[in-house]
Amino acid sequence: MGPSGTGKSSLLYIIGALEPPSTGRVTLEGQNPFELNEKQLAEFRNQQIGFVFQDHCLLPQCSVLENVLTPTLVSKDGRDATQRAEELISKVGLSDRTQHRPAELSGGEKQRVSLARALITKPKLLLCDEPTGNLDHQGAEVVASLLLDLHRQQNTILIVVTHSSELASRFPTRYELVDEQLRLRNDGPSS
Amino acid sequence: MRTSQLISRNLAYYWRTNLAVVLGVATATAVLAGALLVGNSVRASLRDLVVQRLGQTSVVVTSSNFFREQLANDLKADTQFSKNGFAEVCPLISLEGSVTHEPSKRVASSIRVYGVDDRFWMFHHHQGSAPQNRNVFVSQTLARELGTNIGDSILLQVVKPSEIPLESLHSKKEDLGKTLRLSVAAVLDAEGLGEFAIQPQQTGARAVFISLPLLQRELEETGKANFILVSSTDPGNTHADLITKLVNQQITLTDLGIQLRTLDRDGRSVISLEHESKVLPNSLAQTSENVADKLNIAHSSYLSYLANNITAGTHSIPYSLVTALSDSDFHKLLESKHQTGTSSAGAELPPIILNEWAATDLEAKTGDVLSMDYYFWQEGGRLETRTAKFQMAGILPIQGLAADKNLVPDYPGISGSANLSDWDPPFPVDLQRVRPKDEDYWHQFGTTPKAFLPLSVGQSLWQTRFGKVTSLRFLPENISPGDFETQLKQAVDPLLMGVAVVPVRAQGLQASQGATDFGEYFLYFSFFLVISALLLTTLFFKLGIEQRIQELGTLRAMGFGPSKIRTLFVTEALVLALAGSLLGLAGAVVYGQLMMLGLRTWWVAAVGTTALKLHVSSLSLAVGAVSAIVASLLCVALTLRGLRKQSTRGLLSGSLTSNISVMTASKTSVGIAVSLTLIGLLLLLAAAFHLIGQVGGFFGSGSLLLIAFLFFQSSWLRRRTQNSLTGVGWWPIAKLGFRNTSYRPSRSILCIALIASATFIVVSVDSFRHRDGQAVLDRKSGTGGFPLLAESLQPLVHDPSSREGREALNLVADNPDAPLNEVALSRFRVQPGDDASCLNLYQPRDPKVIAPTDDFLQSNRFAFQNSIPGSAEETANPWLLLNRDLGDGTVPAIADANSLSYVLHLKLGDELTVQHGDRAVRLRIVAALSDSLFQSELLISEKNFVRLFPDQQGYRFFLIDVPNHDRSPDVAAALEDRLADFGFDVQSTSERMASFHRVENTYLSTFQLLGGLGLALGTIGLAAILLRNVLERRRELALMRAVGYNSRHFTLMIVAENALLLFGGVATGAVCALLAIVPVLLTRQGQLANLSLGFMLLAVLVSGLSASILATWVTLRAPLLAALKSE
Repeated sequence: MGPSGTGKSSLLYIIGALEPPSTGRVTLEGQNPFELNEKQLAEFRNQQIGFVFQDHCLLPQCSVLENVLTPTLVSKDGRDATQRAEELISKVGLSDRTQHRPAELSGGEKQRVSLARALITKPKLLLCDEPTGNLDHQGAEVVASLLLDLHRQQNTILIVVTHSSELASRFPTRYELVDEQLRLRNDGPSS
Repeated sequence: MRTSQLISRNLAYYWRTNLAVVLGVATATAVLAGALLVGNSVRASLRDLVVQRLGQTSVVVTSSNFFREQLANDLKADTQFSKNGFAEVCPLISLEGSVTHEPSKRVASSIRVYGVDDRFWMFHHHQGSAPQNRNVFVSQTLARELGTNIGDSILLQVVKPSEIPLESLHSKKEDLGKTLRLSVAAVLDAEGLGEFAIQPQQTGARAVFISLPLLQRELEETGKANFILVSSTDPGNTHADLITKLVNQQITLTDLGIQLRTLDRDGRSVISLEHESKVLPNSLAQTSENVADKLNIAHSSYLSYLANNITAGTHSIPYSLVTALSDSDFHKLLESKHQTGTSSAGAELPPIILNEWAATDLEAKTGDVLSMDYYFWQEGGRLETRTAKFQMAGILPIQGLAADKNLVPDYPGISGSANLSDWDPPFPVDLQRVRPKDEDYWHQFGTTPKAFLPLSVGQSLWQTRFGKVTSLRFLPENISPGDFETQLKQAVDPLLMGVAVVPVRAQGLQASQGATDFGEYFLYFSFFLVISALLLTTLFFKLGIEQRIQELGTLRAMGFGPSKIRTLFVTEALVLALAGSLLGLAGAVVYGQLMMLGLRTWWVAAVGTTALKLHVSSLSLAVGAVSAIVASLLCVALTLRGLRKQSTRGLLSGSLTSNISVMTASKTSVGIAVSLTLIGLLLLLAAAFHLIGQVGGFFGSGSLLLIAFLFFQSSWLRRRTQNSLTGVGWWPIAKLGFRNTSYRPSRSILCIALIASATFIVVSVDSFRHRDGQAVLDRKSGTGGFPLLAESLQPLVHDPSSREGREALNLVADNPDAPLNEVALSRFRVQPGDDASCLNLYQPRDPKVIAPTDDFLQSNRFAFQNSIPGSAEETANPWLLLNRDLGDGTVPAIADANSLSYVLHLKLGDELTVQHGDRAVRLRIVAALSDSLFQSELLISEKNFVRLFPDQQGYRFFLIDVPNHDRSPDVAAALEDRLADFGFDVQSTSERMASFHRVENTYLSTFQLLGGLGLALGTIGLAAILLRNVLERRRELALMRAVGYNSRHFTLMIVAENALLLFGGVATGAVCALLAIVPVLLTRQGQLANLSLGFMLLAVLVSGLSASILATWVTLRAPLLAALKSE
């Protein structure tokens, strides 16, 4: 958590190996992704990290199912991913929309698709940058619930960046980024 | 899901942008492949013309003189003829001529006259038959030129080859042709063999077909021909070697003009060898002597001549024949029992022996000094009277050799005369001087020589380049005259005696490859059109990428590596490129068809024929398509490369940022711009000082300067502005519009590049135009200051600058005000050959060679582009280079720079081989004339010319000085009238220059038109950019609307943005063009057509601004405020 401009998203992108840190190191299961070459880094991101962005970033030309399957195109074990994709789509409650295009979905539905896409490669780390930032209250609630359920089911590490205290309050562990310092907040529910 | 699915989704979803990319590639393909099709079509059309005009002809046997018509049948009768795939033969007479249409008095010169019979039509498998009696057929082209109809009367003048060399004493110098009044019986089109021509040419054949027997009769060559057409069963069989071998076998000595007679001398057979030219060519004399030596046959040489006077003291004998015999024979005569008197050894003057009759008449005795006057025809056209002195060495009785009248050839006008007073030789004789005793001598002894000289003395006085003996005599001991003749025939090479065997089909097909590669030319012309299409393709592809920036970021975030992303986009691009190229192939055929239509109509001046048709070649299409695909993919790859450095976060946020700081990018751009500017300026200087070619300098420096300017502008657009936008009114709004050009700098630069490259072409091409009518009288101009030039059908051998020559040529003016007074003619010898100028589409194999007299070289007229002088004199007057001995067997030659570059593809110092008979003449280019009227030929010195081309005599090309230029038309008319017998055809030099310039200017117009098309493409690109920019900034515009901006403000802003790009492009292109053409302007002292150019550029600006206003109106029609709402 933290106010705008404190660097929450920047921190997330560094953790997600989308941006290198100016100082310090990042390791995930002992591996520093920034020591890898470009190809290895891409593979790392594909296999280890799932991303959910504020504005979902769905491919407008692809259907719901295809959007969820997109990461599997470059995955080593992407061949039998269709069943898993359908399962994930079902879990996010969009089984009847698999062939629909993003333009035909509401904001919340798009974000649910984005969540399913982020989990298709069974990543170890799920990173979310303001996942409910563009949603109304109801949509935000649905997405937030899904996030927590799925991360538990898929056994991923979930890191969410948000300025929404309501969303933050649903997480057992909360950090606050203030003055470039990450401080643990203990005023939420226990995990 | 497979990657291919994603690709097909992408292609379908972004169909609008993809369609634009496809159209861009299609345009590039159409233009590239279309240009290659044009080149292929021109070559194929020229090939078709050659094949059509030759008909069935594969090989041609020709001769400088006439041979038996029967020789054709002799060739065919040989078993080897048909065994080697040859089919038919057809003898005919082919001569150059001129024709006057009597009703209209129109004259057509330099036409071809064919004396043919029915065999000509049968040879070509044609139904027709030959003209009979005084009826003729004319070709359609000639009929159109003369305006002649069937039944009209024409006067046909033909050149009759002279057996006796024109530039020798005994040849007729005037009335060399034959004029016939004939009637037009038919006009023949191409189907009717009217286009028959041996020489490849794209212009229509101008020919007259006349009855062979009639022509033979009129030329007094009954049963003779000078051409044999040979056909082959296999059109691919073009080997002339067998025909050469058969000609060698079947041709007789008589066919070669060689006269062998068996004489009886003192009971012994003596073989006398003479030639119809009345002098033995040196090669023939040498060959005959070699044969005699091989057969151990004794031989003697004789040189007979006519002396105007032999004088001793006060006594003189007019018109005596004198014979020089071999020195040993001369001394034998002196020591023989026949001789009366003794010689005086050690005399200072050369010895002479008189016969008794002459000695008595002159009252001369041994030891007396005699003088002999004789005419000598001086090279250059003067008849000189020379005198030689001798010391009398003896007196011979008129018997034996001294009584042999066969020592003297049959001279026309002399030998056959019954009386001395009936003589009618082709030189002045004063028959009043003939005395009765001279007539008595003539009646009794005829042409028996009155005096004898040693051969060495005779040759020192009388030998010419045509030969140094008039006869050879052989005394065969163990061989019959018939066998000797056989041996001699085997040894004589017909190719050295004026016979040529030419594989005309093979040569014509080779020539149809063309001197001008139209494919290459149209590629150059279309260069900027192709660049514009590729830039447009790149632009739309880039727009497509920018539209999918966020998608790119998402893919990266999902683990798509750089190569995978690149593969995705390149695969998409490949599919688009393939689709575009397929579409473009159809466009290529249309483009090619349009270009060929243009070449037949608006640009016909460039090609001189309407016979060009489109020939679609799959190779051209394939090369064009592949080139367009490769070029497009390169553009795409360059575009994708630029994205590598974009951060994933930046892509996800939908913005293109650079990891390189603005300052660094700006500095890099400036650095590159400065380097390119320097290199461009260096190239300009190199072109200005002729260190490199002008075309290379123009393209090289122009392209570099353009790119440099674009880099400067890129740097300017990326700069961080210090000044804030403040103020009220239209100007700050316009400045806001200008600021918007830096929203997407690379897009703006692409736009500017499109407009600039097309403007560059439009502006610069105009400077290369030739503007006629300038400085005709400038002695250093392309006309050398000569207002008129002329060509004659018959060669002029008299020197028109001498009084005698002017009298002989009927050029003496009737009155002091006559236009012919003070007119001076500069004369050139001519070896006919292929036109080496841009007027000839065919590749010149053996270019025409001309040679001026030495006084022309000394006059130092015309301007030179460059030369390779070896002395200060040669630097001051490059013409003098023609007299240099290069020492390596090559002959120095001068050519026009345009012909060298564009037709012959040679440069200074290069060597060119011209075939003459069986001999290869090697010429070396030592100087290049600057845009001169000599673009059709090469020039060598007269001295080299007479040595290399001895059979070409007299002068047939003239440059005419007219002191009062206003009287040029009168001078032209007077010359044509006075020299009508010579087929004298006068033309103004400015007209000749205009014909060359028309071709060049037409090419430039083509270039400009295609450049204009490129400009149109650029305007489309500009409109597309504009629309795109506005669409992307809808939210921003919506905000401005919300705070009070109205449509007029938007229009001003958008138009201002567009205007900056437009003006930037036009200014960049114009400035770079003006710089690039500086060397051309300096060389040609040219000027820009400021007014027309100004109008053109104004049109560009107006159309561009109109497009932007239209685009603005279209964009702003939709309500903007809705864009402010989220989702």
